[in-house]
Amino acid sequence: MAFEVNEEDKKSTYVILPAYNEATRIQPVIEEIAEKGYKMVIVNDGSSDNTLEVVRQSQRKYPKNIFIYSHIINRGVGVAMQTGFDAVLKYNPKYIVNMDSDGQHSVDDLDNVLEPLVTGRAQAVIGVRPLKDMPLSRNIANAIMNLLTRIFYKVDVSDSQTGFRAITLDALKKININARGYLISSEFIREVNDNDIPFEEVPIKTIYTPETQAKGTNVTVAFKILLQMIRHQF
Amino acid sequence: MLLYSILVPIISIIAIVWFLFRYLNEKNSLLTVILWVLFWIIVSLFAIFPDFSNAFAKLFGITRGLDFIIIIVFAVLVYTIFKLYTKIDKLEDDVNKIVKEVALNNEISLDDEEE
Repeated sequence: MAFEVNEEDKKSTYVILPAYNEATRIQPVIEEIAEKGYKMVIVNDGSSDNTLEVVRQSQRKYPKNIFIYSHIINRGVGVAMQTGFDAVLKYNPKYIVNMDSDGQHSVDDLDNVLEPLVTGRAQAVIGVRPLKDMPLSRNIANAIMNLLTRIFYKVDVSDSQTGFRAITLDALKKININARGYLISSEFIREVNDNDIPFEEVPIKTIYTPETQAKGTNVTVAFKILLQMIRHQF
Repeated sequence: MLLYSILVPIISIIAIVWFLFRYLNEKNSLLTVILWVLFWIIVSLFAIFPDFSNAFAKLFGITRGLDFIIIIVFAVLVYTIFKLYTKIDKLEDDVNKIVKEVALNNEISLDDEEE
């Protein structure tokens, strides 16, 4: 039988969702999370579409589950995550999850990702996307990023660019995130590893649509991350 | 006298005056202004006395004076780009801090709508 997080743990779990121009995709994601009984911190990263309005509509439906913060201008997914991590501390959560708001992650995986934390096996989890589901270009970029993460950050993981991760409050307080963009994925893994935080990889489902494929780590983003990794060495 | 040997010193004087004003308005540090003033003085000397660059070039083991000037200009440009890059990087960090702080201090709640 699949693992299910109990009500008490659900109440002290907060899902951070950075959102940039996700007006057409975010609503089902956040409402499904709220339906499952989880709370969430949504960070609107200066979207130029009506993401903020869409999120506020959902907040009216689930006022106890949705907390919204908004960047006045777009600063990148890394900065949005930093805001999310800082904001979530106000609610004194036990577990913090981070997932994409474009619908590429399955809300059903929340329980699976939280399982190692709830059972005490690990203090950090990264959701690993199955390689077979990934488009070829994404697969190649991901393989390069895994290799770079191994070279620069000395951590061997099977999916360094995943946007689905979970961490306990104690572990979150130990890590320090400075990345502005997609480097955050590798930086999170490096920080977890450097601080000797026990972590696990959990397989997750990925729902690829033409829209979700346009975002994330492609070769251009991979090159930018490489430059940032080199810069971080100094 | 060639045209550039008149034009370059004029440009240099304008640049030096401009940097001095920036220093007086506290927009540049004294060290930056001194470095720029020295740079423009040397450029003027090269323009007025072309042989001067040859002497300098030989001092550094470079055969032609013009090569020496090109190398100097290249080095100054690289330094300027590096300086701008670090400045922009710091500005980006500052902007990020402000944007985060504003967001964290202004949680969007349903109460905002009622007001």
